[in-house]
Amino acid sequence: MTVDRRKFLTITGSAVSAAILASCNSRGPKSAEKLVKYAERKNEGLERALFRHTSMDATLSGAKFAGTALPSYFVSRTVPLWSDAAMGPWSLEIGGMVDRPIRLSLQQLMDLPRTHQRVNHYCVEGWTAVEQWTGVRFSDLAKLVGAHRDAKYVDFESFDDGYHESWDVESAMHKQTVVAYGLDGHMLGPAHGAPARLYSPVKLGYKNTKYLTRIMFLPARNGGYWSDRGYEWYGGV
Amino acid sequence: MTRLRHHWIVRLTHWINVIALTIMVGSGLRIFNAYPRFARRGETFCCNPWEGHPIPRNLTFGGWLGGARHWHFAMMWVLVVNGLIYVAFIYLHGEWRDLVPRRGYFRDAWEMLKFYLFVRRDHPVQGKHNALQRGTYFVLPWIGLLTVLTGIAIWKPVQLAPLTDLFGGFVWARYWHFVAMLLLVALSFIHVFMVFTVDPYSLRSIITGGYNPENSPEERNARPFINLLPNRARKVEAPE
Repeated sequence: MTVDRRKFLTITGSAVSAAILASCNSRGPKSAEKLVKYAERKNEGLERALFRHTSMDATLSGAKFAGTALPSYFVSRTVPLWSDAAMGPWSLEIGGMVDRPIRLSLQQLMDLPRTHQRVNHYCVEGWTAVEQWTGVRFSDLAKLVGAHRDAKYVDFESFDDGYHESWDVESAMHKQTVVAYGLDGHMLGPAHGAPARLYSPVKLGYKNTKYLTRIMFLPARNGGYWSDRGYEWYGGV
Repeated sequence: MTRLRHHWIVRLTHWINVIALTIMVGSGLRIFNAYPRFARRGETFCCNPWEGHPIPRNLTFGGWLGGARHWHFAMMWVLVVNGLIYVAFIYLHGEWRDLVPRRGYFRDAWEMLKFYLFVRRDHPVQGKHNALQRGTYFVLPWIGLLTVLTGIAIWKPVQLAPLTDLFGGFVWARYWHFVAMLLLVALSFIHVFMVFTVDPYSLRSIITGGYNPENSPEERNARPFINLLPNRARKVEAPE
C-alpha cells in the first residue's frame, strides 16, 4: 500500500487526535511516570533553594476570618477526640536527635512564650483561609530541647489514625511555624486538631499535622500520610 | 512555487507547545476542580459567574489532584523553556518583524474584520500574515508570560510574596491565571478554526515548512469556508 501525503496527514492527524482523546481524564502514560518523578525531585531542590526565613506570609487587610467556614479534615472515621479517661492525660513528646527530650502537658505548653499570628492557610486543593493562630513557635521548642545540628528533618505525629508528616528542618524553624493550641481567640476545638496542632503558612495544609502527640528530630525524612499517597513530600508554599 | 514559510525551529517549538499547552491546560483544570471557585473560605468572589461549577472530567488530565499537580509542575518547564527558545529565535532571526503590529495596525485590523464580515469585497493587502493574525501572534507570548507569572505567584505565595501581591494576592493571582488560560485556549481554538476554514494550505507549512504563496488567502480572496480551492482563474489571467 502506498501512502501519499494526503493519506499520511489523515493517518497522522487521526492518530494524534485519538491519542489526545484517549489521554483525557487519564493519569497519563505509565512510561512518563519516571520523568514526572524526576521533575518533582528537581522542583524540590529549587523550592528548598528559594526558601528564605525572612519570607513572611501576610494577610490582606480586607480579608475576613474564615471562622466556621474553615473545613475540618481528619483521616479517622470520626472526629479524633483525646480521652483523658481512656488514654491518660494528653502530652506532647519532643524527642529524637535532641539533648533534652521532654514531654509537655497542655498547661506547660501554654506557659511557654506565646505567639499570635494572623496568616493564610494554603490548601493543596487551591483554597485559602485566613485565621488567627495562638501557640508556641517551633523554633522555641527546638531551642528548649536542644535539637542537634545534624537533625535535618522533623516528623510530626498524631493520634489521628497514624497520620503524620515529616518536614525539612528549615521550614519547621521558620518564625511562622507554630505548635498551635488556639484558633481565633478560642482554644482549638476537636474539629481543627485539639489539643494542639502544627500550623504554618510556609507549607500546604496537609503538611500541618493536627492532633499532635509527638515531634521527632530525625537524620532523614520519614514520608507522611499524604506524601506516601502521592502528594509532594515537600509541599512548600 | 513552494517557498519555505516557517523555519524548523518555529515548527518544532510550535508542536512541542501544542503538547505542553494541552497537558498544562488539562492538568490545570483537574487542579481547579479540587476547589472550583475562587473565593477565600468564608468569603464570596465577585467575578466568576460559574463559581462552584467544576470542569467536566473528560476535559481534564492527570486522573486525580496529586497526579495532575505532578504533571503540571513537570510540564511547566517544557512550556517555559520551549517558549523562551521560540521567542529568542524569532527575535534573533528576524521573524518578529512579521509578528509585531505595524503603523496603522488598528485600521488594518478593522479592514480585515470588514472583509470577514462581507462588508468589504476584496482581501486587504498583507505580508506574511494579515493584521488580525499579527495581533494574535503578538499577544500570545505576552499572555503566555502572564500565565507563567501568575502561575509562579500561586505556586509560591509566601516565598515570592511580592510577585503574588503584584497580582492582588493569592485569590486574584489564581483568578488571573485562570483567565489568561481561557484567553490562550480561546485564541488557540480560533487559530485552529481559521487554519481549517481559511488557509488549510498553511498546515503543510507548519509541518514541512513548505508553502505556495499562490494559494494564500489573499490570492484566493478567502473567508471562512469561502474560496477554499486554489484560484486557478487568476493564475491564467496573469501569464507574464
